[in-house]
Amino acid sequence: MTLTPLNAVLFGVVLLLVVGFYGLLITRNLIKIVLVLQILVKAVVVALVLGGKASGNLGLGQSLAATVIVADTIVAVVALALAVQVRRRVGTLDLAKISSLRG
Amino acid sequence: MAAILIGLVIGLPWLGAIVIWRTTDDTPHLQHTLAVAFSIAAGLASLALIRFSSAETAISIPMGRYFGDLTFTADGLAVTLTAIACVIGSLAVIFSVDYMHGEGQLGRYYSFVLLFIGAMTGLLLSGNLLFMFFFWEITALCSYALISFYNDDPKAVAGGIKALIITQVGGVGLLAGALTTYSALGSYQVSDLIARAGTIPAGLLAVIAFGFLLAAAAKSAQFPFHTWLPDAMEAPTPISALIHAATMVNAGVYLLARFYPAFEHVPGWTMSVLMVGLITAFIAAVSALIATDLKRTLAYSTVSQLGYMVYAIGAGGVFASQFHLLSHAVFKALLFLAAGSVIHSIGTRDMRRMGGLGKRMPFVRNMFIVGALALAGVPILNGFWSKELILEVGLQGSPIWAYGLMLLGAGLTAFYTFRMVWLVFFGAERDQLHVHNAGSAMKVALGILAAGTFVTWLFFGGLNGLLASTLPFHEIEHESLMELVTAIPSAPATWLALLVVALGAGVSWVRVRGLRLFGGGWLDLLVETSFGFDSLNQTIAKGVNKLAGRLSFTQTGVLSWNVVGILGALLVVLIFLVWSA
Repeated sequence: MTLTPLNAVLFGVVLLLVVGFYGLLITRNLIKIVLVLQILVKAVVVALVLGGKASGNLGLGQSLAATVIVADTIVAVVALALAVQVRRRVGTLDLAKISSLRG
Repeated sequence: MAAILIGLVIGLPWLGAIVIWRTTDDTPHLQHTLAVAFSIAAGLASLALIRFSSAETAISIPMGRYFGDLTFTADGLAVTLTAIACVIGSLAVIFSVDYMHGEGQLGRYYSFVLLFIGAMTGLLLSGNLLFMFFFWEITALCSYALISFYNDDPKAVAGGIKALIITQVGGVGLLAGALTTYSALGSYQVSDLIARAGTIPAGLLAVIAFGFLLAAAAKSAQFPFHTWLPDAMEAPTPISALIHAATMVNAGVYLLARFYPAFEHVPGWTMSVLMVGLITAFIAAVSALIATDLKRTLAYSTVSQLGYMVYAIGAGGVFASQFHLLSHAVFKALLFLAAGSVIHSIGTRDMRRMGGLGKRMPFVRNMFIVGALALAGVPILNGFWSKELILEVGLQGSPIWAYGLMLLGAGLTAFYTFRMVWLVFFGAERDQLHVHNAGSAMKVALGILAAGTFVTWLFFGGLNGLLASTLPFHEIEHESLMELVTAIPSAPATWLALLVVALGAGVSWVRVRGLRLFGGGWLDLLVETSFGFDSLNQTIAKGVNKLAGRLSFTQTGVLSWNVVGILGALLVVLIFLVWSA
């Protein structure tokens, strides 16, 4: 595989995804999970622009990426606020300890 | 003009639903008035729409590439059923003013009734399969909400959920048919499917045809889905009238009639439709023989009469089925509302406790008898003409044994109708019941429907002309009222049918006199279990629940496991893509 600019970006996307999924698998701290999710979403944003460029429809990719950024910011803010509330009420951020939903 | 009227018949009920939803429940008078006003306005708009019916698409709204255009077509079939839905619906609303007097939560009641009527008209007028499915599902939801209206009664809730689940099975059939149509034709338009059915590969067309048959059978409570309609009797009685005569169950028959030209050459399809109708008509009639609940008896009779309509479509008589649908809508609404007056007055649905009520509520008795005679097919009421037409069609278009069974079914209809009238209104009083007469709003609705029972068959020529001129693909012969009036009495089959009806009534008379009123023995057991199909339903429901219980261990709530699941699924997709490339 030659190292064209597109391939380089694709490599970056895959790298971000791998980091994100690895983080999701091993993390138990709520704040860190929010951070890891952000990494995953950033991979998606880059992938959207990349997809737009590759299909010759850059404007569509960029506008979708901008939409994702807006939506994702809100998700991050709400998630962090929830994490703060969890810390205040339960006293810990460890997922294993705060989980009360058992099947 | 047609476009405006279509907007009105769908929009007015829905607007009314929203307005009533916004009112508070401490203003019941306002709620009654608003509901009656909106439903009558919709009824008038639907009657006006008949004048503007045509095969052309009246409204076309582009909805993007993937859904096709949202189109509405007001052809003869659609406007007839729309008029039935709106007019009978508004009469049920008028009746509700008395029936629901003093009940709580009228806002919820009337909102769902109006939403129901609007969804039904949308379903009928829609020319796009996907939006037809959309309206179809809204009618299912409304029926669930209204059957379970008394939501503190476990039986009502169970009946509502049963109706919802069974009609969802039909919804899947409709959706599968719609998506298959899109994959084959690249269009969701009803007119495209009917016009270009011949170009669809035979296998795919069979999937669409049987998917639609599944949908129709579930919606119209046909075999093997006939179990939900009797259980839906826990609803307030005007709702039963609405479901049985105006909205819900007509949709299935409509679907079959609408797509008959597209599917008639699918091997085995017409025969399947015929058999479904035949089996349903027969077993529902047998069930009605021994039911002791007044509304349940009526519910079985609806299932049975719907079976006649489906049978007629299977035998090629699309027009006969629609004619009977019109008659049935009028006399069944009359029967249900009259039964509602009785139940409202004495507070029980058990026919074993009634008897001799005729002297105390003569008006209701007379109205009920008119409806009952029409149901039994006694001349010159509307039920007589349409049932004879169906039997005529059946004689020509179906095997002779099928015709014989339907003839026997007509006799059974007379039997249980007569038994029902006797048990409720005549004979000795079997229980001390406090009786009060029907209110004036009830009398208005009953009077209009009883008059309709005498005159709707006179619309034969008009209905025939309407359908023949606006349905380009249905081969409907032009016939006038005069031809009907001369053909039916001169046919030997008519006299045979009348003989069977008289025989049924006679046997009923003998049994009633002999005091063996309530059937008995093995037949009771069969009917109570809906010929075994109730236990089949139970088994399926229990199986699904058990499976869910078994699978619940996969829902740990642990994030890491969910991520492993996501990655695993991604891996499967990647392997599949690489393998198929």
